[in-house]
Formats: sequence, C-alpha cells, structure tokens
Amino acid sequence: MQSQQQSSAGTSVAQAQVSHVPAPPDLFVGYQTNASRYDELLHPNGVARQTWQHFRGLLDQMGPAEFSRRWGHSQRLIYENGLSYSAYGDPDENARPWDLDPLPLLVSEAEWNKISIGIAQRATVLQLVLADLLGPQHLVKEGVLPVELLFGHSGFRLAYHGQMPPSETFLPFYAADLGRAPDGQWWVLADRTEAPSGIGFALENRVVVSRMLPDMFRACNVQRLAPFFIAFKAQLQRLALQQPENPRIVVYTRGPHHENYFEDAYLARYLGYSLVEAGDLAVRDDRVWLKTLDGLLQVDVLLRRPNSEACDPLEFSDDTALGVAGLLQAVRKETVGIANPLGSGLVESPAFMAFLPRLCKFLLGEDLLLPGIATWWCGESQSLGRVLANQSQLVVLNAYRTRGTGYASDKRLNAMAPEELRNLIQTNPGQFVGQERPALSTVPRWDDGAAKPANLVVRSFAVASGESYCVMPGGLARTSDPTVPNPLTVPASGGSKDAWVLSSKPVDHVSLLTHRDDRIVIRRTGGDLPSRVADNIFWLGRQIERADAAARQMRTFILQLTSETSTGNDVVPGTLLRALAAQGQIEPGFALDEIRHQLPQLESALPALVFDRDQPGAIRSLLDNMFRSASLVRDRISTDSWRILVHIDQAFQAPQIIDLTDVLSLLNGLIADLAAIEGMCMESMTRSHVFRFLDIGRRLERALQTVGLLDSCLIESSGNDSDTLEAMLEIADSVMTYRSRYLANLQLPAVLDLLLTDETNPRSVAFQLATLQAQIEQLPGDDHPPGYLPHERLILSMVHAVRMVDVLGVCESYDVGDRQVLASLMGSLDRNLQNLSREIANRYLVHAGPSRRMSTAPLSLHSEDHS
Amino acid sequence: MRYRITHTTKYAYSEPVPVCHNKVHLRPRATIGQTCGLFRLIVIPEPIDVETEVDYFGNSVEYFSLVDSHRGLSITATSEVDVSATNDVANSSISPEWETLVEGLKSRPPQASINDCLFAFESDYAPKSRDLAAYAKESFTPRRPIVEAALDLTARIFEEFEYDPRATNVRTQVDEVLANKAGVCQDFAHFGIACLRSLGLAARYVSGYLRTAPTPGRSKLVGADESHAWLSVYCGELGWVDFDPTNNVIPTTDHVTIGYGRDYGDVCPIQGVFVGGGDQTLSVSVDVSPIE
Repeated sequence: MQSQQQSSAGTSVAQAQVSHVPAPPDLFVGYQTNASRYDELLHPNGVARQTWQHFRGLLDQMGPAEFSRRWGHSQRLIYENGLSYSAYGDPDENARPWDLDPLPLLVSEAEWNKISIGIAQRATVLQLVLADLLGPQHLVKEGVLPVELLFGHSGFRLAYHGQMPPSETFLPFYAADLGRAPDGQWWVLADRTEAPSGIGFALENRVVVSRMLPDMFRACNVQRLAPFFIAFKAQLQRLALQQPENPRIVVYTRGPHHENYFEDAYLARYLGYSLVEAGDLAVRDDRVWLKTLDGLLQVDVLLRRPNSEACDPLEFSDDTALGVAGLLQAVRKETVGIANPLGSGLVESPAFMAFLPRLCKFLLGEDLLLPGIATWWCGESQSLGRVLANQSQLVVLNAYRTRGTGYASDKRLNAMAPEELRNLIQTNPGQFVGQERPALSTVPRWDDGAAKPANLVVRSFAVASGESYCVMPGGLARTSDPTVPNPLTVPASGGSKDAWVLSSKPVDHVSLLTHRDDRIVIRRTGGDLPSRVADNIFWLGRQIERADAAARQMRTFILQLTSETSTGNDVVPGTLLRALAAQGQIEPGFALDEIRHQLPQLESALPALVFDRDQPGAIRSLLDNMFRSASLVRDRISTDSWRILVHIDQAFQAPQIIDLTDVLSLLNGLIADLAAIEGMCMESMTRSHVFRFLDIGRRLERALQTVGLLDSCLIESSGNDSDTLEAMLEIADSVMTYRSRYLANLQLPAVLDLLLTDETNPRSVAFQLATLQAQIEQLPGDDHPPGYLPHERLILSMVHAVRMVDVLGVCESYDVGDRQVLASLMGSLDRNLQNLSREIANRYLVHAGPSRRMSTAPLSLHSEDHS
Repeated sequence: MRYRITHTTKYAYSEPVPVCHNKVHLRPRATIGQTCGLFRLIVIPEPIDVETEVDYFGNSVEYFSLVDSHRGLSITATSEVDVSATNDVANSSISPEWETLVEGLKSRPPQASINDCLFAFESDYAPKSRDLAAYAKESFTPRRPIVEAALDLTARIFEEFEYDPRATNVRTQVDEVLANKAGVCQDFAHFGIACLRSLGLAARYVSGYLRTAPTPGRSKLVGADESHAWLSVYCGELGWVDFDPTNNVIPTTDHVTIGYGRDYGDVCPIQGVFVGGGDQTLSVSVDVSPIE
C-alpha cells in the first residue's frame, strides 16, 4: 500500500538528481512470495534475482508515483486505441480492454536461449509428426503411435490428408505455453499448432510498455521483437509459390464479432497485409481471389485465423456453411499457401503430449530439451491405471481438442465428483489424459498501486525459418490471480504482460519497415478494397450524417422549447415535433395533439428518449449504429478519428439526473465531435475508394435529411413564418450565410434557395447532388456499356431537376396555397435518393449472402421391389 | 453382367444462384469383381472444367463450379459397368472367429492395414454404443465365424426392421433407427455398421445401385430405380465381404458399387455449396439396365 505522502515524495525524487537522494519507497513494498512456488522477482530469502536487479534499481529511482502516473497515461492510450479482447463489434457487449500489466516479465538471455532451443526442437518434432500423419502415416503403421490417436481423433478429417504444403512445412507457425516449476525448471504446459493467437497482443504490449518505460527499455538491453516479425514475413512469403517476388498475402480473420479480431486487425496493419473475411474471398478456377471494387485479385498466401474445419464448407460438412468453398481444392492444386496448413491443429491435442518424448527420440534420435508437463493417455492400460490411482493429484483433460472448445469442457470435467469422473474415464479411456498439476511460478503484477504476486504462464512463438525455427524473444506473458483456485493450469484469459529478454550487451535497432535499399514503387492507390469494406464505409458515412442531422434537429427543438425569447406561439415547436417524429426520434403519438397539451409530458420524457437504445431513431441508437459500423472497418479508420469515435461513445451517456439543459450541452458536444470526424475525413483521407464511399454515404444521407427537413417544415406544416424559417436555417447550419446575405429579413425564396438550389452552400441539397455526381463518376467500372448505368441516370436526373427549379415561381405558388409543385419535387428527390442508394449497393457493395448446402436425396429403395 | 447406368439429379431454384461449388461421388469404382468401362458426367449449365480427384479411400470424386448465375442445375452421370461374382463366401463356417479380428485391429502395431482399422472407429452417422453392442451380441456369440455372425445380423435387421421411407431422413441417427425399428437402406447400413463397430469390428458403408427386376408381366419403367446402400465387413484373410440388410443378401451381380467410406457423409453422391437461390427443389432419377 502506498500512502499519498509517499507518492508525492516519489514524484519529487524522480524529478531530482537521483544519486544523492536516499532511496525512495520501493514499488515492491509488501510483495509477499509463496515459499512453495518459484518467484520470478525474488529469491526465497527476499533478495531480488540477478536478472531483475538493474531493472529494479531503475524502478526505485523512478518511484511508485511516477510509475503510476505514466501507467495512467498509458491506460488511456490503450482504451482509445480500442485495444480489446472480447467482441468489440458490438458496444453492448462491453468490450473489455486487454488487461495489460505495466510491469514486464524479465528473463535473462542465457535462460531464454535454452528455452528457445527447446521450443525450436519441439516445433520440429511436431512438424514431422504432422507431415507423417497427413501423409505416409508410418508412425501409426509401425506402432510408434496408436491408430486411435489418428482415427479416434475428433479433429482429424480425411480431407486434410495428402496435402503438399508449399515450402514443405506443415507447421510454419507454432506456439507453446510455458510454466516454471518450483525448482526453477521451465515446462511446456500446452502446444498450439492450429492458428496460435497472441503475437498481435505481444506486439501491442511491447509498444505500450516500451513507450511507458523508454529509459528502462533502453537501459536493460531488451531484445527486439522486430527480427521475429521479419522472419515471420519471410516465411509467409516463402509460401507463395506462384508469385515469389511480390505475393498478395492476406490475414484471413473470423470477423469483427470474434474475440481476436482486434489482434488480427492490428497484426494485418503492422505486417502490411489486407485483413479479409471469408466473404471477401472466392475460389474460381482453383485459385483464391479477393473480391474488390476493382474486380477479383488473386491471393497467394492466407495467414489463417479460423479453425481448419471452418475454412471450406464443401469439404467439411459441419452444419454451418462457413468458410471459402473450394479452398482445399486450391490447396491441392498448389495455387495458394496457407499458414498454418489445414489440419495443423491435429497435434495440439493433449494426447500427443503423452507421446512426444517417444516421438522426439524416434524422429530426431534426441531427448526433448524442454520437457512437457507429465501427461498420461488413458488409452494405454498402464497409463489408465496410473491416472485412476492418482486421480486426486492430476488434472483430467479431453485427449483430443479442437481449438476454442477445450477449455470449457476441461473445466467441466474437473468440476465433476471424483467418482463420476472415474466412471466417465473408464467408459471410454482413450478420450482422456491425466496431467500433472504444476505449481506455477509467481511474478509481480501492478494492482491498485502495489505489486502483488500473480501466477505466470508464458506463450512463446516460433516461426519456421530455413531448416529450423526462429523463436520470438519473450512472447506473451499471461497472469492469473493465485487466490482464485482454477483446476486448469493455463488460464483462458486474465492479465497479460510484456516479456523482456535482457541481453548482456546493447541490441541493434531493427525495424520492420522495408530496408532503405529496396526500391519502392510510387503509387497513389492502396488497391484491394474489398466490397464488404466499401459497404461498411458507405454505411458509416450515412450514419455519421444521420446522427448529425438528428442531433441538430433535437438541439433546435429544445432551444425552441426552453427559449425565453420564444414568442409564445407553439407553431414552431409543433412543426419541429413533427419533424422529430418523421426522423423516428420520438413516438409519432407526441406529434398528434396540440403541442401545449404535450409539453409537460415531453419535457420529462425527452431526455430519456434521446438516450433510449431501444428506440431505433433515438440519437443514442444512431450513435450505436455508427459505432458498430466503425468497428467493422476499424482497420480503415485513422487512430485520431477512432479516438473521437470512442470519445463520443463514452461522452454521450445519460447522466444520473438529466434535464433539458444537460441534454443541450451533450448535444452541443456531440455536434462538435461529429464535425471533428468530418473534418478529419476531409483533411486526412486520401481521395481513394474508401474516401469516395464514405463521402457518397455522407452526401446521400445529408441530401435525404435536408429534403426531409424541407418536407416536414414546408409540406407537412405550413412553415412560411419567420420562426420556422429560422429554425430550418439553424438545423441546416446555414444561419450565418443567410445573415451575411440578407441580414434578418427572413423570406421563403431566399431560404429555399440557400437550402435547396445553391450549389455553393455545403449544406444545400444541390451541393450534395453535385458532389455525389462527381464521386460517382470516379467509381470503378472498366466494362462500361454505352449509355448510362442506372445509378448514373438517377444522379443526373436529380442534379438536373434541382438546377431547373424556379425558386421564385415555386414560392409564389406556395404562398397562394399551392404546395403541389414543391411537394412533388421533394417526393421525387426522396424516392430517387433511396433508389440511388439501392443501385450503388447493387452494383458495388452487395456481397452475395451466406453460403448454403445443397439438399441431398434420401435413398429409399423398396426392398419389396427386389426378390 | 454388364449394366448401363444413368443417374440424373436436377435442382431448381426460385431465385438466381450466382455461384455454386460441387463435389460428386458418381463414378463407379473398380473393385475385385467390378470394372467401369465408360463414365460420362454431363452438367447443365456447363462448367468450365470438371476435375477428377481420388479421395482417401480411392473413390473417384469429381469437382466442378458454376460461376455464372443460374436457376437450375442438372447433373447426369452415365456409366457402363461389368460386374462378376467374386469370392465365394457361402462356406461361411471357415471364416475367422470375430474376436480374433477385434484383437488384430486393436493391437499395436495393428495386424490389419491401418486403413482397414480406420473402419473400426466411429463416425458421424455410425457411432458406437452399448445398446448397439448388446443388439449385435445376439448374433455375435462367442467364437462364432465372422461371416456366419454377420449374415445372422443381416437377417435380423431384415426381419425386425420395417422398411419405411417416411420414418427417417438423410440425417437420421442410428439410435432413432433402433428405437423405431424402421428406416431405409441407408439407415439399415448405418445401423449394421454401428453395431459391428460397437463390438470393435471394422465395417464400411457402400454406396451404389441395385438392379431392380420389373414387376412380372410389365415392362420396367426407365428411371424408377434408385440409389442403394449396404455395408461391408472386414473378415481378415477373406478381405471385405458385403452384406445388404435391406434385402437380406450377400451382394453379387445385382449390386453396382460407386464407392465406400466410413458412412454416407464420405460418399454422398452430390455435395454442394451455393449462394442465393431462394427455395430449392430436387428430383432424382436412376436407371440401371442390363446390356445384352
């Protein structure tokens, strides 16, 4: 526990010249180790271990207060960067920021070298096992492995067999979870071969912590991660058989609703690859293609994130038709490389851990350098006896696991009554393994201003490189609370740490950016915009404008309600109320009666309506939609824009007690934030297709909203009074322009000109249409038939119609009570804008929808027919 | 016997299908007693390419895709097949005792080829269970020769189970078949396989055709035949012996094999994935005609 007094002392020390000041309070005061565990920081006698001494000295110089201050700053960055683990596509799911701890794990270079040699050896063995099981199967034929380990394995699909993966490796990428036993020895707790998660988080942890503690990071000679990622990229490039020079490599993610999406997006961005989902890919002519706005582009390598069995619905007959139909056939034709190859998850099942010492001996003639935790496969009678005899000291696990399903099921097993579990094992012994339950080491974790011990598991990563493997120095350290008992060794989630491998001498600075000698081809497009991304961008644009229009309309309405200068008539609020109902912001019922009957009710109901997440037209719902669309294209949004979005999501929440004034100030903030996003788009986005679709979405929605406003105020109500006209100008953000032209003289023709036909006013309908026309002309389309396409015809006819409006004539008719001309103009603009949206979607955005399976005929041969 | 077989499957969709990918098991494989002289696969609309692959079991698989919008799909497989009677298993008392085979399949390394062992493991449509083992045990009495025991099981399924196409569908599981004592050829095959596997024996699913005799006095209706399914049992040195529980026979020259696998899922005649399409309707016609 650090008191206030100590904290302030810490700050002053950090700022002073360090050497002459007495030692400030320690960050590790009160850090209690457990005698039965290995502690990473302290010897059993309480003295810091050699590896940590320098780092600890530097921390002491800094003091807890400065440490806390820096950490507070970093945490804000983590939140604003949207660093999260759970599904963040949906804000209602309460995306939980990745629980990073600022104190890194320290490992000495000498110790890590031993670990990495062991990991490389293990990866080598597992690679050979995979290559054999998916190929000649000698290991089973010769009895090194029981047949059951292959054919009784729920994760083995026949279709995996017979692949010839490029570069002849079945395991380009491997991860192992490590734990340290009380005697200081490192053990492998689990192997990960399907599609190991975590390198993106390891990278992000490194970025955050090294920024927080740059001085220590340098002083401790921490080995860099970049060389690993360079090897990673080189390995992926080796998988490209047809385009070895400049292959198109994509990160094939499970999508924004999956917990690892952030990591996938982060990794794709860092490595410089496109992030794609199954729907973005198609197989034609036994090749894999990326569907983009510019047509199909061939993909050479997939960094696969979904499980193998979810990758090709044609080959794997699970009920869901997920994946890319025909992918495996493309693999067989060797037109695409996949890391890891389909089926690589086979050997991450715990059953293989029981055989690995024997396999290593058989395949390499060596002993395992890095032992796995002792595991017994119950399918062998001797092992079964041993597991049953020592049941209480062991963890029982499913012998076969499919990535993502093992944890919950293993947890259930170990929650069963011992007798029940025993019976279950005996019914089908081959389905279970018994595993030693190790006491994990502890490591300090920064928790509420003090360091406390936490259980440690380290996930380390290896990528194939030449004949062997390149191991990431460090990896992803994960912590769990030692006071919460968990029968399973490896936590499913919990805290995470950066892991520093300390070199004895200064380390070279390596960057992933291309070497200066490589010649870059100057280009002005990013290429590769998947249609799905364009679709989401388009909707994001629409939703930003929709939220903006709703907020402005609501603001003006509240101002009218609460204004003292109001003339006392309720014509204007009545009109605006109908406009709000038309936007779906309030129930239509409110707009039916005379406004004065509704007022008291409205004043109390309005604040809640604004924040009602269940009312589709409520501003909060619109913001949720906007945020959701933004999450789906997170990788296309600049960090600054994303920060504003996160800020909006956080700031626009219903306060405890709300009255209309609070709502008003929140609306003011929101309108300013939305303007900031729009400004960011205009000023910081290159004029690519991404910008184009965002702009088309925005312009289309703004035009629709302005048409809607004119319709509500002028057609649905008779709005030709100066108060309504002023409110319209206010909502359309055109008051300043109007005053500069006409002073306070409010007249319908001038207002209509400004909001409808003036192409120089960026808020007018005419301006939106002209911009739309310009953007639409830039849309891709090589195979343009003669004449105009439907969406081109629509925009042309609207531009034309608005340019031809005779404002004075329309207003004269309006004044004598004939609203028909204006009404039909508004009606046709509204219809055509909706049609335009649909036509653009049909041509560029709609992806074909989910895959389905063909029905199959039942066999119903009548035995009576045959004798 | 020589047969000409025509197997047509037609799909019609209420909405356009922009793309579909297909994988079909329709080419009769070569077996000890069977050769396939001619095979043609006609797909309308015509795909750019039809590729022939060989699956894990050695069956032929044809792959094709349609990447232009279509509202219907017709797949016709025509083949000419010679079938001759093979191993004479009538003298079934000389076949090995079934327990010996179970031991051989279980030992390490196995005394059978590992791809024979594969069929002793449960699969999606033919899982193991105690109930199934108990049912099978009535036929598989101690030390009984495998062929004799399997024939007995075949006869029991034929007698005790009612043939009823309405009782089941393509996804029916064996426990339902056992509970209802009803089903079609596919169900009886799966049931028999699951019974044998529950004892530790190896059994596989055979997909094929059956020549149907016309009703006496009337000419045979073209296209009235159907796909058929039965099972095959690993009998040690005798190799694999087929049993047809739907008709209570050991297949000889009336049965034409397309291919075999662990169950229906491995040799499903037509598998496909498509997009769009609205409602789909399916019609199948099969004709098996002897050639003079």
